[in-house]
Amino acid sequence: MMGVSDSTGPIAPAIDARFVPVSFLRRHSREIGLPLIVVLMTMVFSVSSDVFLSAPNFRNIGVSAAALAAVSFGQTFAILTAGLDLSVGSTVALVSIVGSLVMRSYGIPAGLLAAIATGAAVGLVNGVVITRFKVFPFIATLAMMSVVSGLALSLSGGVAVTGVPAAFGDLAYQLVLGIPVPVLMAAAVLVTAFLVLRYTRLGRRIYAVGGNEEAARLSGIQVSRIKVAAYIMSGICASVGSIILTARVASGQPSLGATLPLESVAAVVLGGISLFGGRGSIVGVAFGVLFISILSNGLNLMNVPSYTQMMLVGAALILAVALDQTFGSGRAGRRN
Amino acid sequence: MSSSAPAPVTETADGAQPSIVVALSHVSKQYPGVRALHDVSLDLRRGEVHALIGENGAGKSTLIRVLSGDAAPDAGSVSIDGRPVAFDSPLDARKQGIVTIFQELMIVPELSVAENIFLGNEPLALGCLYSRPEAERRTRQVLETLVKGSGIRPAQRAAELSTAQKQLVEIARALVFRASVIIMDEPTAALSEGEAASLRRLILRLIADGVAILFVSHRLDEVMEIADRVTVLRGGQHIATLDAKSIADTDELIGLMVGRPITELFPPRNAEIGEVVLRATGLTRVGPFEDVSFTVRAGEVVGFAGLVGAGRTETMRGLFGAERLDRGELYKRGAALDIRTPRDAIAAGIAYLPEDRKEQGLVLSMSGVENIAMASLEDYCIAGVLSWRSLRATARAAAQQLQFRGQLEASAATASGGNQQKLVIAKWARTGADILIFDEPTRGIDVGAKAEVYRLIHQLAGEGAAIIVVSSELPELMNVCHRIYTMSGGRIRDEVAQSDFSEHRILEGAFAAHLGAGTSAEVRP
Repeated sequence: MMGVSDSTGPIAPAIDARFVPVSFLRRHSREIGLPLIVVLMTMVFSVSSDVFLSAPNFRNIGVSAAALAAVSFGQTFAILTAGLDLSVGSTVALVSIVGSLVMRSYGIPAGLLAAIATGAAVGLVNGVVITRFKVFPFIATLAMMSVVSGLALSLSGGVAVTGVPAAFGDLAYQLVLGIPVPVLMAAAVLVTAFLVLRYTRLGRRIYAVGGNEEAARLSGIQVSRIKVAAYIMSGICASVGSIILTARVASGQPSLGATLPLESVAAVVLGGISLFGGRGSIVGVAFGVLFISILSNGLNLMNVPSYTQMMLVGAALILAVALDQTFGSGRAGRRN
Repeated sequence: MSSSAPAPVTETADGAQPSIVVALSHVSKQYPGVRALHDVSLDLRRGEVHALIGENGAGKSTLIRVLSGDAAPDAGSVSIDGRPVAFDSPLDARKQGIVTIFQELMIVPELSVAENIFLGNEPLALGCLYSRPEAERRTRQVLETLVKGSGIRPAQRAAELSTAQKQLVEIARALVFRASVIIMDEPTAALSEGEAASLRRLILRLIADGVAILFVSHRLDEVMEIADRVTVLRGGQHIATLDAKSIADTDELIGLMVGRPITELFPPRNAEIGEVVLRATGLTRVGPFEDVSFTVRAGEVVGFAGLVGAGRTETMRGLFGAERLDRGELYKRGAALDIRTPRDAIAAGIAYLPEDRKEQGLVLSMSGVENIAMASLEDYCIAGVLSWRSLRATARAAAQQLQFRGQLEASAATASGGNQQKLVIAKWARTGADILIFDEPTRGIDVGAKAEVYRLIHQLAGEGAAIIVVSSELPELMNVCHRIYTMSGGRIRDEVAQSDFSEHRILEGAFAAHLGAGTSAEVRP
């Protein structure tokens, strides 16, 4: 198809030279765009604030990003199946309460186990409601958001659960090789999620189900099981996020994580995961999280009020998706 | 390649200049990495059917896009009635009288027939209100001029229409727009033989009224039957524009399309036929099909003929566990099968290659490699962990064996229709299935790829597989199968052995449920 014909000799190579970099940038706009913006943003904040570019501040960013990161990596699983998990915020709250209660009576390991199990259980219910009763993910997890939040408030009586072991609270501030433990936890979730998505049968099936559910079903894939597994993954990741947040405040909080549904969906979408499912890489999501966290840290240092920050995060989400729709390769190309 | 010469404006027999409605001259269009059209010229005359043929990737789609205002040419020009035009949108082209009916029909299912026809062009009452009575009156009028007794009610929801009826609605819409040119992209691909024949009759009526039709089709017999002139594209270049009367046979067209003569489109049927592998008795799902019984032997290719809606696909999906069966038994080599899900069917060695590759056969966003492994992923996993190395090696070997000519690592969406079908075949061959169901295996793929699909079908049969082919193309069934069942109205009507194959007998079976009730394209069981 590509041969250069003699009649257009001088023109054809010129066209090629123009097209190659453009098409390369287009094809990889998602992979390149966001990291580039993150780097640019870092440079801008470095100039505008003399505190921004410092090890303590970077640790700060890391710790505050860690919980969002863990939750967003879980959200990625749900969205890759062409679903959505809006219950992540209240799952974080419930896990915080259950984990703290168990930890107070039975010690840290039991508490962590209970935390993970709670998150997995919420994910299981989400998955079953969505697959078994055919409730749309949006409605199912929106409803579960209310159910789980109510459960967290009832269990705690609406007040914080205090008296968790001090060693647990210290976890949030300990450093290993200069890196805060929450950051290491988030990194562990990232590596695990990456490996699961790329190198396991489950991971590839999640992409298949999200990419074309009917084709996957006709290929003998048990679509319902895959979806349930994805929501369980989302629940477990939310647990990890909750453990990080709970350790930071050293108590179980029934109102923890209220902003996480929006922020995690924002991080995932900014990171280039298609809301239609089956498309995108979790590495992009990590950059999505960095974007949101660095933006909010930088704005803090510039004394921008947090209410204004909320507006900016929402606007950034709309802007990113709009840019992608206008210039990015976005959806699959037209058929020929 | 002698492609530089534009189609000469020939004179008609009586010496008058045929009136040209639309002309493309020296049009080129480049996409990143692909030169889709190169110096192509083509004209459409009032009252002619101009067929456009070529293999996938020959540039037909791009040419349609340029003509319909969906893409601007990089070089060259488009003119209407002799004056050059530049469309800035498909709507613009439409306003200038060029209407395109795409393969995926642009019908809004939840709107009524009349609302669809007048979409974007609504008749108004009092200058601002949508006038429903007026729209429905004009809809009734235009449908009546198209086909007597089409069975379409203007107020009917478009979702209730059959594919053939939806097409009729699109044509009606073109007439309402006062189209002088109608571009039809594979209009008969989704139609059964009978429906396609009705459409061809309608096209002849349209051109009698002076409309010019650009008819894009893979079905060469149909092209020969209906076209006045035929333009062949290959590799983005204009190869020839022929007067249809001067064409000897379809082989001549195939030769021009592929650039080399195709001696044997259909491979010989010399597989050894063995014992009965699959026996179905009384398969029933109340509504779509009832009491369907048949057998398939090892090495045998068994065809299922019938109209769209005869229940063939539904039966196969039921057999495969993709849809519920109400009654009926399945036996493989005498042993009863209990199939409730596609997973059960695959475990029993059954493969189903669906009619819609893009919607059901492939995950377009995933690579060719992964699509090939889709139904046999376990084979590359140890304790759930995937070995990309062994997966790639197997996929590469399978692709080579099937002469897959796309990018294995690129997403399946980028492969041509023929290569996509090869991915689907490779996927199922990997499962080791010995009962394979091909549903419309060559729909929308080009001649070269068709020949390869037929070869693969016979290769699998030669290895002892039992094969079912569901197809709406009679020549395909009659040249590929050893035996043909005809279905109509959800039941098997006839069973024809190879020695008794005749178009007449098969069509009789296909129309069995409709005989006496009118046999037009608008019949829907």
